[in-house]
Amino acid sequence: MNNPQQTARVGLFFLLGLALTWVTFETLSGGKVFKDKGYNLIAGFESLKELKEGDEVRMAGVKIGTVEKTRLAGRRAEAVLRIDNTIRIASDATASIVMAGLIGTNYIGIDLGSEKAPPLQPGAEIHTRVTPDLNTIMTEIGSLGQKLEGALSSFGTTLNGDGKGGGLFQKLDKLVSDNSERVSTTMTNLQEITGKLNRGEGTIGKLINDPSLHDQLVAAIAEFKATASQAQAFVADAQGIVAQVKSGKGTIGALLYDDTAGNDLKATVANLRSVSDKLAKGEGTLGKLINDDTLYNTAQGTLKKADRALDGMNDAGPITAVGIVANSLF
Amino acid sequence: MKQLTHILEGFGSTLQLLLRSLSYIGTLPRQRGRFIEQCYLIGYTTLPIVAILSFFIGSVLALQAGYSMQNFGAKQFIGSLVGLSMARELGPVMVAILLAGRVGSAITAELASMKVYQEIDALVTMNIPPARILVLPRLAAVLVMVPVLAIIADLVGWFGGAIVTKYVSFISIEPEAYFSVLRRYMKFKDVLNGLIKAEVFGFGVVLVCCNIGLNTRGGPREIGAAVTRAVVVSLILILVLDYFVTKALL
Amino acid sequence: MPTPSHTRNPFTSVETPAVGVEIQGLSKNFGRLEVLKDVSFSIEPGEIFVMMGPSGSGKSVLLKHIVGLETPTAGRVMVNGLDATTEAAREQVRMAMVFQAGALFNSLTVYDNLALYLREHQVADENGIKEKVMRALQILSLEQTAQKFPSDLSGGMKKRVAIARALVMEPQLLLYDEPTSELDPVMSATISEIIALLRDEYHVTSLVVTHDRDLALNIADRVGILMDSRLVFLGTPAELRHPSNEKVNSFLNPKIDLKNPRYKKLET
Repeated sequence: MNNPQQTARVGLFFLLGLALTWVTFETLSGGKVFKDKGYNLIAGFESLKELKEGDEVRMAGVKIGTVEKTRLAGRRAEAVLRIDNTIRIASDATASIVMAGLIGTNYIGIDLGSEKAPPLQPGAEIHTRVTPDLNTIMTEIGSLGQKLEGALSSFGTTLNGDGKGGGLFQKLDKLVSDNSERVSTTMTNLQEITGKLNRGEGTIGKLINDPSLHDQLVAAIAEFKATASQAQAFVADAQGIVAQVKSGKGTIGALLYDDTAGNDLKATVANLRSVSDKLAKGEGTLGKLINDDTLYNTAQGTLKKADRALDGMNDAGPITAVGIVANSLF
Repeated sequence: MKQLTHILEGFGSTLQLLLRSLSYIGTLPRQRGRFIEQCYLIGYTTLPIVAILSFFIGSVLALQAGYSMQNFGAKQFIGSLVGLSMARELGPVMVAILLAGRVGSAITAELASMKVYQEIDALVTMNIPPARILVLPRLAAVLVMVPVLAIIADLVGWFGGAIVTKYVSFISIEPEAYFSVLRRYMKFKDVLNGLIKAEVFGFGVVLVCCNIGLNTRGGPREIGAAVTRAVVVSLILILVLDYFVTKALL
Repeated sequence: MPTPSHTRNPFTSVETPAVGVEIQGLSKNFGRLEVLKDVSFSIEPGEIFVMMGPSGSGKSVLLKHIVGLETPTAGRVMVNGLDATTEAAREQVRMAMVFQAGALFNSLTVYDNLALYLREHQVADENGIKEKVMRALQILSLEQTAQKFPSDLSGGMKKRVAIARALVMEPQLLLYDEPTSELDPVMSATISEIIALLRDEYHVTSLVVTHDRDLALNIADRVGILMDSRLVFLGTPAELRHPSNEKVNSFLNPKIDLKNPRYKKLET
């Protein structure tokens, strides 16, 4: 029941088990059995982040040891590094935690330091440097986003007002609503005019028959356009014009006096309001006016530019003045 | 109710048997021959099946892991998955299950037949406690042999996984990468953990199988019934113990 | 026959006091089944006591009580003044039992079967053990079987090996459970002679449970008969030849009556 062969086999089997266990231990614990192989350095960090025991220590990318232990020491985290005996690390070399992959694989990178610096002694502490890791970058992107948001909201306040004072939009709004009646009347009138123009109704006999008047009108529009494109100047001019218009007819009469065309224009201008009214009432006739695209196109362009000019402005005043002028014109 | 008393009775008698066996621990050096014989039966002869099974369990583990991990690009972690699963769970449990099936059943059959054919009674009249010469050497042998079986199971399983990850086309990870990941994410503690588990399982299985064998009553037909019961109880014991031992070792 | 008060060791010829057995009001139930009912008798040191009785009358159970394999439901079994169920009885009194089927260790050779007790109790070194074992085998003419396994032996040889195994224990009390069952008449006679030899040469106290009338009448000092769980007869072989009890008589001298078979009587 107990022959030597059996005993030998069992003995061999057991030794095999011991050997395999030892090999596994050696492999997995990274040769910790040879405690005297290599020396320790201490690297203190604010946070070890994803670093864990068994991670590599590399100098200029070459593996020179492992992280033997991680621990908390007072107000900082310490990594005990096991460095190969053959490696000398300059005392001014700096260690940092380097991210090798996105998923928690880190190592400690040590730079070469300067050539002249004396080597670090076993157990000494190595200088460390904080390197941004993915988390820090993410955090920074986050705070950047916050700043951006703040900027955008203050911009919004400028446009929308902070609720009390009234920003650009409020002011515009106010402007529009204050004049809404007039604007809407004008709009309705314009709508009807265009409607009738579309239908070809009415005739503006004389206006069309006299080409010089037409030319002048075109020139005036062109001038108006130029003026509008330089909003401030225009507005100033407009203010001036309005003041003059308000102060008395004489000036404008003198301005327009001299010619039949001037007379005609004067009559036209004077009648514009009634024309508008009549147009609104469907009385007026605009005949050929429709045939001339230039006028419409130019007017549209002017409006667009005025629009843009309006965008750049914060002051409602001149616009109101323009509105008044426009109002008085039509 | 009757079932419950049966279970408690089995539990109690197993514990008694353990204590009685341990009280003869001093006679173990004299029983060297029996101890070696049991080591041979429990360890050496169980090795081939342990090796074959753990090889394929490691392979299948790697295959399944590779298949499911390729979808989210984590297949380079197969090494650690196979390594940890084998060492912490599958190695010990598999060794224990094989012990139950191969060694435990044989122990129960042998002791039950000794009981049925009055050999146990004969021992008692000779004032030779069965716990001393039949149970103690087996318990000692299983304690010595199970870690050996378990470490072999672990390593063979790892190699099985490595071969699969290299040669299966949709995984194809070099063994160097496989083992480097395995090493990176494993500590010897994980392996030790598994060895302790295997030890507990193996010891429990042998003890339970001895007890069931020694408590067989009736004729030869009972031998078969006892063997079946021993294997079933062993398997349940392994999985129940697995939970608690794992929890205790976490 | 004078009952010697000392057992002589078959190997060393050292005499140790012979032991007696005292059974007092022994009852044993297995569940609701009563196997023994208030059985009381004693076995004197150095005598051969033969216990007879029909199958299932509780004879084997009685034996198991004496070696301490069973505990009584009621009553006591005292071996040499010690309770048979205690460790003390087993340690202080060397008892050996020859089981009905031999109960040899099938995994061990005949030699190792005999040597087991000696080795386990460290009675002697390996040379001394060999001497004792070969002597026991010699007494029972079994030298040729020493290296055989029990499965290779015939029924009679197994019984003799079982007796030899009991013998190497140098017992003070020897219990036989049906030592002559399943044996041919010549082998039965041989076994009977061996039992008697052990008494005459070594003064071993023996209890023999058997159906064998010839054995009982020829070698017994006293005979007991168990029927229906009770001890119904206790006396010398001479008294047994003319039992007053009718049931005992019909048990010992069953008439084979083909015209009026028993199974028909049972039906009526």
